[in-house]
Amino acid sequence: MTDATLSPGKAVAAVKRPTGASIGPRWTNALFIAPYMVFYLALLVYPLFKGIWMSMLESDMFDDTSKFTGLANYYRLFNDKIFIGTIWNTVLFVLMTVPVFVAIGLLLALALNRSDRTSASLRAIFFGTSVLSVTIVTIIWKMMYMPGNGAIASIMRLFGLEPIAFITSSSLALPAIAVTTIWWIIGLPMMLFLAALQQIPGELYEAAALDNASRWRSFWSITLPSIRRTMLVVVIYEIVAQFQLFGQAQLLTQGGPNNASRPIVLFIYEQGFRSWNLGYAAAASEVLFLIMAVAALAQFFASRKRVEG
Amino acid sequence: MAASEHIVGRGIGNKLILLSVVLVAVIWMLPIAWTLLLSLKPNSELMISTASAFHPPYTLKNYTDIFQSSGVFRWLWNSAVVSVGVTAGILILSSLAGYGFARAEFKGRDIIFVLVLLGLAVPEQAVIIARHQMFSDLKMHNTYPAIILPGLSSAFGVFLMTQYFKAIPKDIDEAAMLDNASRFKIFWKVLLPLTVPAQATLGIFSFLGAWNDYLWPLISATKPEMFTITVGMASTQTNFAQSEGLGFLMAQAIFAGLPVFIVYLFFQKYIVRAVAGAAIN
Amino acid sequence: MRKLTTALLAGLVLTAGASAALAADKTEISVARFFGACEADYGSVTDVTKANGECGIITALINKFNAESTTTVVKPEIVEWPGYDQLTARIRSGEPPVISVMHEAVISDYSSRGLLEPLDEDFAKAGVDVNDMTDAARQGVTKDGKIYAMPFDTHTWLWHINMNLFKEAGLVDEAGKPILPKNTDELFAQAEQFKEKTGKPYFISTLANETAFYTRTFDTLLYQQNVDFFADPNKVDFSSPEAKGALQLLADIYSKDLTTKNQDYAASVSSFAAGDGGVFICGTWLIDTYDQESKKDGPLANGYAVTAFPQIYPGSPRVWADGHSWVLLKQDLSDAQRASAVEFMKFLWDNNFEWARTGHLPVRKSIIDSAEFKGLPHRDDIASLAVNGTALPSAVKRQFSIQEIEGEEVGSAMRGDKSVEEALTDAETRINELLANAK
Repeated sequence: MTDATLSPGKAVAAVKRPTGASIGPRWTNALFIAPYMVFYLALLVYPLFKGIWMSMLESDMFDDTSKFTGLANYYRLFNDKIFIGTIWNTVLFVLMTVPVFVAIGLLLALALNRSDRTSASLRAIFFGTSVLSVTIVTIIWKMMYMPGNGAIASIMRLFGLEPIAFITSSSLALPAIAVTTIWWIIGLPMMLFLAALQQIPGELYEAAALDNASRWRSFWSITLPSIRRTMLVVVIYEIVAQFQLFGQAQLLTQGGPNNASRPIVLFIYEQGFRSWNLGYAAAASEVLFLIMAVAALAQFFASRKRVEG
Repeated sequence: MAASEHIVGRGIGNKLILLSVVLVAVIWMLPIAWTLLLSLKPNSELMISTASAFHPPYTLKNYTDIFQSSGVFRWLWNSAVVSVGVTAGILILSSLAGYGFARAEFKGRDIIFVLVLLGLAVPEQAVIIARHQMFSDLKMHNTYPAIILPGLSSAFGVFLMTQYFKAIPKDIDEAAMLDNASRFKIFWKVLLPLTVPAQATLGIFSFLGAWNDYLWPLISATKPEMFTITVGMASTQTNFAQSEGLGFLMAQAIFAGLPVFIVYLFFQKYIVRAVAGAAIN
Repeated sequence: MRKLTTALLAGLVLTAGASAALAADKTEISVARFFGACEADYGSVTDVTKANGECGIITALINKFNAESTTTVVKPEIVEWPGYDQLTARIRSGEPPVISVMHEAVISDYSSRGLLEPLDEDFAKAGVDVNDMTDAARQGVTKDGKIYAMPFDTHTWLWHINMNLFKEAGLVDEAGKPILPKNTDELFAQAEQFKEKTGKPYFISTLANETAFYTRTFDTLLYQQNVDFFADPNKVDFSSPEAKGALQLLADIYSKDLTTKNQDYAASVSSFAAGDGGVFICGTWLIDTYDQESKKDGPLANGYAVTAFPQIYPGSPRVWADGHSWVLLKQDLSDAQRASAVEFMKFLWDNNFEWARTGHLPVRKSIIDSAEFKGLPHRDDIASLAVNGTALPSAVKRQFSIQEIEGEEVGSAMRGDKSVEEALTDAETRINELLANAK
């Protein structure tokens, strides 16, 4: 496993020679990618363009008389306070969660980067929650947050404190969803960092120990630089993943209160399946696509620069 | 494990760190412990106050009730079928395509590869409305294929497998070519066995992804007998269930989470390795 | 791994066995409903009189039907409340359930798009006397002159009262009736008095995670002032000073700590049962549940009363109302299926009294007038609701979305996240925008 670890970094270097087998190009070779391309074209490319087309129609889910309206849906979107709010909420959510995923993920990885049984069980605990479905996670956390019935409220009352209204106050709803999300899937960044830490050659630390370097200093001068790439992977992955927030918000807060926790995807879902405005929903999903494409591009260039530099 | 540990591990400081992590882990377990407690209480008591969960009497009735009446079994089965289907599909398609993009040359291949990579930037949510319309027009919703197929269009696996095939030294297949083996035979007999670690990584990610998928099954599997466990559990957490059958709901949540959790414990070692495998370092 | 496979297979065999047990020679129809799942307690109960609460009674009713019918098997499909997002997706997929429960307020959205079957002829053939329907029920299910649903109940907004706490607060008169406010000043005075004497908030309200409380209470307060906010069905008007006053009233109740805060539906329901406050503003459907609670030991023991929403504005006693009903979804139904569907609807019609035991108002005049119904606990106290229940004009489209938006905005103002004026303007803009784009 160790020597076969996936490593595009190495791969890129190894494959710098001309590609292709000795026999050279042949159209039958395309048969290898053909099965995937069928799915790719039919279920990703086609719906993407169909979606773009739909976004320029005024269409009702149960009415076949849709009419072309050009960019009217987009115009309406950018004058829709609720939609603008969902963009802001989503960005805010990404800003709330991604740094925490990095920080706590790294801290846990540092603390649990040992081979004893205790650490193994602790790793299992922190990663274990990731395998639960979002619906189970939200059931569990609803019972934590509710001010009357919730566990946190009960504990606070035990100490004579007034319970805090987590998912029902407009300033705390989104942070509450963020906490739930972090509890749910902190395991992945932790594991990614652990894998990275284990790649750092031990000699580096031994040398640092000889220099009597403090734990803090060896962290800054050895650990951090060595895991720079993983850090980037975690950041990219989490930004993309958290931009797609849906289930937690739909099930914990329904986007409320006062729209304070409604993410873009929930807006799309509600416009499509509650208000039956397919064109409008499609336009909103194109905006989401655009934002994420820009983010992906930015990350692509950032990562290239950093890895090469 | 890491050769660094005896250096980082330094006496008291280290013990303190471990202690605080144990503390955090206990807090981490609290929500699940609370759910477990609630699931062991009669519904009628919880309707008055959930604080009663802290003291006996406890009962297993909520769990035995699941066996009598709940859709959970059917939903778990659906999830298993869907997740296995998605995983198998992704592994097959991605391996073939990965080999194709890495090794089997044909005209226009590199342009197509770039186009596929662009697909990585398309989030599922951006195409979900159009996809729902497509499957509606084909009258395919509420079938296993409808829940499985969209997952197979993801470009992630292809990207991963392409990188992996590229990293395998060329001499290996060149030797086979001299033996006059066909392309497919080289792929199948020589190279594919070498990719097992990558298959494991991709397989585990695909399985967990499919198991936990929510948005697409929510709008595609709308008949209760086709619910996946994720959608099914969403359908049970209505106001009514919460006020009248809180304990039962919690028991269902625990029960529904159990299978995949047990699988996780069984395969923990491999999952950890798989994640490590994905950690591009 | 082998163990796992065995376990999975065992699970499969179990499920397959269970479904094979269903009778094969009857026509099966699917019935989608909310009201929760409680097969564990009522799965085998066919004696409806032994069931309590919405979930128990509907479960037992369906069991009874399946036990008695020689031609039909109803397959209940329990969905999330209110479930319209999913129903929409399901209709679009071409495989709707045969019958679905539906709020009367949303019927027109579906009927106007030809998604529902008109039922006038079926009812006539089956012997359902539509003239026996109460006015509210008949209006609720009639769209464009046709009947599109079997009405099941009329439900309204009312006050559940904890008499034990009311006594403690000195708010019970000599006749043993609760003393209720007759205007807004009295409301605040009594609520303050209540808080002082009992240390608990006067109101328990469902303020979290759903918007029903806000919309229904706010609508009621507008009706009480005779505000016709949907004079034009395509445009809502919340600009009246009365609307402002009503919303300010809610905001004041909140800011003066006269209500429990942050409770969701489940929490508020149990909070009232636990005696955390005096008045629970909620719906008819909890009457039976709390009546049962008052027969047990506990904070509600011998101390539960229910009353129509007290008139605190001089205009009218009208109150928000809606109804549950059963619709037949348009699809390729065989004659046998359609007959079975109507048979089931007729069964529900015949057993409407059982459903009314939940606390909902029955949809048949003959039941309302019956001694049986009048003999149910607390029914005298809420008899007026049958007349005063008011729904939005049926020409208003997208009523469900409208109530959702209205509730969100009213909630924002009540909790102080927005000013009253801002919330009313926003609600108006959003609803009118929705209606302008609604077909």
